[in-house]
Amino acid sequence: MEHTWDFAAILANWRVLWVGLQGTLIVFAATVTLGLGGGLLVGVCRYAKTPLLRLPSMAFVEVFRNTPVLVQIIWFYYAFPILTGIEVNPFLAAVLGISLNTMAFSAEIYRAGIQSIEPGQWEAGRALGMAYQQTLRRIILPVAIKRILPALTNRGIEVFKMSTLASVVAYVETLNQAKLIADLNFNPIESYTAVALIFFAVLYPAVQGTYILERMLRKSE
Amino acid sequence: MEWNFWAVMTDFDLLLLGLVNTLKVTALALLFGVPLGLCLAVLRLSGARLVSAAAAFIIEFFRTTPPLVQLFWFFFALPILIDVRMTPFIASIVTFSIQSSAFFAEIFRGGIQSIDQGQWEGGKAIGMTYAQSMRRIVLPQAVKRMIPAFMERSIELLKTTTLVSTVAYTDLMFQANDLAQKTFRPLEVYTVVALMYFALIFALSQLSIAVEHRLAKSGDSTVR
Repeated sequence: MEHTWDFAAILANWRVLWVGLQGTLIVFAATVTLGLGGGLLVGVCRYAKTPLLRLPSMAFVEVFRNTPVLVQIIWFYYAFPILTGIEVNPFLAAVLGISLNTMAFSAEIYRAGIQSIEPGQWEAGRALGMAYQQTLRRIILPVAIKRILPALTNRGIEVFKMSTLASVVAYVETLNQAKLIADLNFNPIESYTAVALIFFAVLYPAVQGTYILERMLRKSE
Repeated sequence: MEWNFWAVMTDFDLLLLGLVNTLKVTALALLFGVPLGLCLAVLRLSGARLVSAAAAFIIEFFRTTPPLVQLFWFFFALPILIDVRMTPFIASIVTFSIQSSAFFAEIFRGGIQSIDQGQWEGGKAIGMTYAQSMRRIVLPQAVKRMIPAFMERSIELLKTTTLVSTVAYTDLMFQANDLAQKTFRPLEVYTVVALMYFALIFALSQLSIAVEHRLAKSGDSTVR
């Protein structure tokens, strides 16, 4: 079968894709902020001495790391409203699923970062009369976060790719909009190729950026 | 709100069938993805600039595009481009073999590059060709170091296979959607399915942690 590539319908509908890309960026911004920010909180709690904080955060991490993110999104969309009576729209379901998943993954990254700091640093903080939280905030975290920056940026890239899952609950993002164009113009090849290229165009420079970042950090260590 | 698991329990065999299909897709994607990943890694490490750049591009492309987009492309677009009868099953296997091979390639590359240069020189000194040194000396050591990363990636793959439900392949997620609609019991169905995934993936994670510790003890591992 001979296929002639024709991107005319894609170009004519660029606004549709643009709206989708905006949706993707909004979900990404919300989930990456909540996920990486909340992950820090959970990661610190996982390292806490009191079991009251440590055990629930451990359970949280295990549950959300060991279930597929699509199951989480769908659970929040269809099951959560029945349980709580709270209405959940596609945006909220996607944000809940992806950011809780990201929180669990990044919590482990933060924990590894905190644990990688030699105990002498804690002792030094204590010797200066700093409280646990002061040492954590002023001494440990700044060094730890620098070390785990590459792992965190990788998570960010994963989150950007995960945002396509929002299309499963019909949230208006890039892939969902491409599906719309494909259905109306009978051009799945061009539509889905365009989406693949859009993601590649956004993420390829981002990935190269993380490589450069990694190299710079290795030199400064 | 009252929990009622009756509907889920009477149709539990449907969920088990889905679970079997989930494992089938994962296993087949591993079967094709791992050798393909090794090929890509060897090509990427090749001395020929053009070959290496092409392999690097393929790896980066499949690592930086969302798996769901790839799945849609293989399912909806590929059959128009080449004349094949595409089924959800084939599309799923093709997508996840290629997608995971890109990730496995990077694991192989990391493993091969972690082997000391002296090992290559040793092979060369006793008259082995590149391929022989690779097969007999470097790969056996590299593979041992790769095992933790390899297991982690396989677990990621298992989680990602839930996407095949969107092209109507009857995996566990698809069966869950189906059952939730039939029984009007989404809360119980999705909760049970989430627990099933959790039990499976948690067990595999624990296994991989145990293996990691064993390897760390026997030395020659990237884990400290």
